[in-house]
Parts: sequence; structure tokens; C-alpha cells
Amino acid sequence: MENRLYVIPELCTGCNRCAYVCSAVKEGEFRPSKSRIHISNFSFRGYSVPSICFQCSKPDCLEACPEEAIYKDENGAVLVDRKKCNGCGECVTACPYGMIEQDDEKLAFKCDYCGGDPACVKECEPGALVYPKAEKKVLKLRGVQMKQRIESGSPEEKRHQLGLNLLAKAREDDIR
Amino acid sequence: MNLYAGKILIVNLTDKSISTEPLRKEWLKEYWGCWGLALRYYWDLVSPEVDPLLPENAIVIMTGPFCGTLVPLTSRFCLVSKSPQTGTVFETNTGGAFGPELKFAGYDGIIIKGRADSPTYLKIEDDQVSLENGEALSGKGIFETENYLKEAIGSSEAKTLAIGPAGENLIVYACVGTETYRQMGRGGAGALFGSKKLKGIVCRGTRGVRVADMPAFIERINHYKETNLLTEDNLWAKTDGTSFLMDDISNMGSHPTRNFTYGVNENIQAINLDAIKAAKLADRACVSCPMACGKFTSINGAEMEGPEYETLCLAGSNCEINDLEQVSRFNRLCDDLGLDTISCGNVVGLAMDLTEKGRRVFGLRFGEPKDYLKIVSEIATLSTQRGKDLAMGSKKLAEKYEAQDLTTEIKGLEFPAYEPRGNYGMGLSYATSERGACHMRAFTMYAEDPFDIEALAHLVVNGQNFSTIKWSMCFCDFWGTMKPEIMADLLTAGLGEEVKPEQLEDAGERIWNLTRLFNLKAGFGADDDNLPQKIMNQPLKKGPNAGKVFKKEDFEHAKAIYYKLRDWDERGVPSQKKLAELGLDSL
Repeated sequence: MENRLYVIPELCTGCNRCAYVCSAVKEGEFRPSKSRIHISNFSFRGYSVPSICFQCSKPDCLEACPEEAIYKDENGAVLVDRKKCNGCGECVTACPYGMIEQDDEKLAFKCDYCGGDPACVKECEPGALVYPKAEKKVLKLRGVQMKQRIESGSPEEKRHQLGLNLLAKAREDDIR
Repeated sequence: MNLYAGKILIVNLTDKSISTEPLRKEWLKEYWGCWGLALRYYWDLVSPEVDPLLPENAIVIMTGPFCGTLVPLTSRFCLVSKSPQTGTVFETNTGGAFGPELKFAGYDGIIIKGRADSPTYLKIEDDQVSLENGEALSGKGIFETENYLKEAIGSSEAKTLAIGPAGENLIVYACVGTETYRQMGRGGAGALFGSKKLKGIVCRGTRGVRVADMPAFIERINHYKETNLLTEDNLWAKTDGTSFLMDDISNMGSHPTRNFTYGVNENIQAINLDAIKAAKLADRACVSCPMACGKFTSINGAEMEGPEYETLCLAGSNCEINDLEQVSRFNRLCDDLGLDTISCGNVVGLAMDLTEKGRRVFGLRFGEPKDYLKIVSEIATLSTQRGKDLAMGSKKLAEKYEAQDLTTEIKGLEFPAYEPRGNYGMGLSYATSERGACHMRAFTMYAEDPFDIEALAHLVVNGQNFSTIKWSMCFCDFWGTMKPEIMADLLTAGLGEEVKPEQLEDAGERIWNLTRLFNLKAGFGADDDNLPQKIMNQPLKKGPNAGKVFKKEDFEHAKAIYYKLRDWDERGVPSQKKLAELGLDSL
């Protein structure tokens, strides 16, 4: 089976160190808004959800790209050939998880697993990020997370909605 | 600029003007960030005699050089102004995520001047900064206000600061809240916002923080994280959180119980670490912190992050509410309505004591939760006479009802959860803090001998100097093994120029002395560096420190040693030599 990044929201503390290190490695500065991983933080309920690229087996972004600039590498990571990218943004609209975005030059960028050694995983002290293999119950979580397809909105809105959906499942009770 | 955004945002609420100015680089090597830098700005902005609640007063909010980076435990940021509770200059800080967001928007800090005509909030989206109508938020709690502000800016990733009705009603122990359960708690920052009709600030920042050499910087961070931070001395924050102090401090006999009558709580098991662990749902962290000391709990539908030690003690043990659900509900109400739980726990404990002793009937009794919960909103909204009375704070409440023998406050700021009769260092620390009774300036609870005046005076001076530079770097208190050498090494790697530990140590002393100069000019002197009658005259009851007092002559002796170590005269005034040494003689 392919190497994959998995998320256990129950363990996420909302510290954002993953997003900080991601932007430091990829952008050369601490800039979480340009990170390839994002945390939706629901402080009121004490819950946080990391949004990651699932590196889908049939990626919506890949299928939407008119320039065939998006492809899969041998490890299963979905990558962007930025030389081919025309900046149309179709991939951004297509991704139901809000995990491919456009940079300041409008070119698409996304998580590439850091070539097989993701910096975010090493930075995750509480163990909410798992790579490259996971036990069965974590595999199941991935299934639940991938079912939360958000078909409209900005990437930020999609991530937020995905987080809300998972929060509702995790904490069904109302607070008084 | 490396490590700094390089810009300060200046907002004048009176004429609604918004501008920016370059960071005063000439101050950085002497004041560094957060507390120090905010204080230096504040010094130039106001006269020390200023009335804190008038438009002439200013508020300075400041981040530090590591804020918005991977240096762990550095998301904190601070507010400096003159306290409406004490009349001194004060610094209050909080974690969460607002500080880094402000820096990502391109600002190291915000200076807020003047007063708006009507409720207003400040909206910051990178370069786009505006003052917005906040009428719809009048009287709303902090939780609702924070949600509203995020919706108003159209970003779930925006970060917010807000006050509740307590701040709007200028209650002197009103806090500023952020991320629901985090606060700039002490000294009345909420009332300062309220006095300016500033209901909140919402910020979305999408830029970055740069450093001289990213791989080298990250290498140093990882080195200190692995070899220093994630070690036995600090891991309590990860595994337990602050509630471990319940048993620890009670076993020492210095755990304020029943309005500072007892040094131990014999029913502590209902509200100690084990009780928190039994109710825990999740670990919660401030941004950039791998420790996650926040313990999110749920008990009978009362859900919140915390309660933390100070609240468990002062709203729990000190009111003899040995019931985690009730303490949680009290805590949550304070967080939402915008009151500092430390001061509020003290005031309610005092009112319970007065009621029990039959000296004044407030309808509040030790161990009875019903009115204990009701009183919080009565205070915040000033809706009843007893609410209005308690809203004055311990000092004025005691003046009104001649209860000075029962209070625990210094310069108007109520005591934190460590009993000075069981640890003289804490007494000296409270008495000499720039903002009244505060435990975040020097913490001597783990001193070898809690009654060795000479040794404790040294610990207090060194502790204050170190805390001052630590708060000027925005390091959280819970990196307990932090040293100037580590800060200097990280600054060197981040800035790309050498910083020596001695520079930071000097800065700590400089900043502390500048707070002193401000307070002297504001009318404070040696007589104000004092302890409450209760601590000096009434023996503590129960536990290992039963019978202890911190006698006036012992305290005066401690204070004399402290002044001498500081090179301050008997009036508490720094010598010209000391000021010249610190570069403060020209101010």
C-alpha cells in the first residue's frame, strides 16, 4: 500500500506547529496562511481538526486540470508541475477539502509529503499526524474524513466546514 | 526585518485616524519586545499622573521577537497601560493565537489612543485597517462577540480580542478575552477597552515572519526543544496542567482557603488534578506550544478549558466551593462576562466572610453555590446593589464596610493563590510588584527555605529581573528551565547578529526600574510596598504553617534588603548611579 499521511483529530491540540514548520520548509518564512496543512480551531468546544491533502486515489484536482499539470508520483503523492500550470484555479474549485490553493503568482501549490519525509509529522508532539502507515482504526478515520466532501466555498470555508462536520460527529452532546 | 514585522499600528479612537510608523529600532536592543518595548512606547505616550479611564490614557499592545515562529511557548503578547485597579503602570499578557496573527498582518504592536463616541471594534486584514460600528455588540458576552467578529471579517481563521459587559461597565477587574477561554486577566485591561468604547479587535494576517537563516534557526529550536524544554522539569505542563498545584501547594500549607483563613483545603480531592483528569476531554495548546497545558473538561454539561490552578483555588478552595462543576460554571461565566477569576474569587470570598461573620449580609456563604454563581453576572452587569458593591474590588469594598482586617490585596490588586504567611518570598514579591499582588514577577514557592528572608530577597530581585526579560520575549512561564543564554542564542540565530545573555539580563533590570520610575511619578512610594494587615497580624490556620504570620518588622527587614539589592533608597527611589548604569538617567 502507498505511504499516506493520516489525521487523528482527537489528539490535535491546535498548536499549529505543523503549519508553522510547513511554511518554514516550503516558503522559507513562518507563514501559516501559505502552509500545506491547516488547523481548524474550535476553541469553544476544545477541538481542532487538521486539514490535510488526502492524496486521493482519484484526485478531483487532477481531473479538473485542463493543462494536465497535476500528476501522481510513484509514492502516490499528487503533485503540481508548476511549469505547466496556467493559473486558472479549476483545481482549487474542484478539491472538496480546500487543500490545493494558488500562490501570489496564481500558480497552484499543495502538499507533496516533503518527498516522503513530511516535516509536519515530526513536529506533531501530540501524535495527531501519522505517516506512512496506520493501524486499522486510523484507516477508518480517514474514510470518515474523506466522506466530508464540501462542494462549494473558498478553500478556507471548505476546511472550516469539514472541521465542523467532524466536530459534530465527535461531540454529539449539546452543552448547557 | 528579521524576527520583527517592523511596524507599529496607531489607532486614535477620538478622531478615528489610523496610521503606521516604523518600529523604533533604536529601542530594540534595550527593550526587545512585549513588556519592555510596550513600556518604552507607553512612557513617551502619557504622563504618569494620567487618569487610566480618560481618553488621554493610551493602551499599548505588543508582541515579541519570537512571536509567530516555531520557538516554542512564544505566542504570548502583552498589554501595557496604567491600571484602573491599582493606579500603577501594569503589564498583562495572554497566550492563544492573536499575537502571532497580528504579526502575520504586518504589525509588532498596536497603540490605541483616545475614546470613541459609540461602541466600536477594530478590524485588521493585513494592510486594510478600519474602525467599525460595534453597537450591535453592546452588552454581549465575550464568546458571542468573538464569533460575531470572525463573521464580520469573513474568516474563520481570524483571531480576536474582546471584552464583555464587565469591561463595558468599567469594572476594575474586567479582563480582555481571546480564543474563548484565555484572558489578559489582571489589572483591569477590560475596563481600559471599555473606557475607550473599544469592544474588540479582529485580525487576519496572511504574511510571514522572516529570520536570518531558517535551517540554522530551526536547528537551534529543535536542539533546545529536545534537550531543555521536553524534559522532566517541564513535562508537568503536558501531562497534568496547572491543577497539579492544588495538592502541591496545599501540602506545603500555603493554599488559600476560606478567604485566606486556612493554608490547606481538607476537601481538595473534589477539585484537584485527579478531578480535572476525570473530567478531561482533550489537551489544548496556545499556538506554537508543544506542551498543551490546557485541559478541556466536561462535567455535567459544564464544558470549558480549565479551570486552572488560580481559579480552582480562589473560586474553589477560597470560597469553599469544593465542587468542580460549580467552579467550572463560575469560571465560564467570568470568561464570558469578562471578569478576572483571581480577583473575582477573592472578592466573593471576602463577601462570604463578611456574611458569615455577620458584619454585612451579602447572601453569600462559604460552600453555597447558588448565589455564588448568581453574583458573577450581578457584578458584571451592576444589576444589584451587592453586585455594585463587589464590582468595586476588595480594596474599596473593605473601605466601604470597614473590612480591611479581612482583605488580601496590595495596591488594589487581589492576591493570587499562594499564601505569603507560608512563604515570605511571595509576600515580598507581591508587595514590590509593579502591578500589586502578582505571582508572575518572582515565584519563590519552591525556595529551599520559605522563611529565610535574606535568601528570599535575593530570589525575588533575580526572579523579577528574569521574569521581566522573559515577558519581554513573550516566553510562557511554563518553560521553567528557560535561561538568558537560550534566549540570546535563539535571538542570535534569528536576527543574524550576536546577542549576549548579559544584554538581556541588563534589559530585565532596566525595564523593572522603568516601571518603578513610572510608579514613583504616579505617586507611589515605599509606604505602598506593603502587606495587608491580615498577613502581618492574623495567624494562618491549619496545616504545616498554622500559627504563622509575616510580622511587620520581618517584612520591613525583607523590604530593606530588597531595596538595598536594587540600589534603591529607603523611599524606594533608584539611585542616580543605578539609573545611569541602566541608561535611564535621561528619561
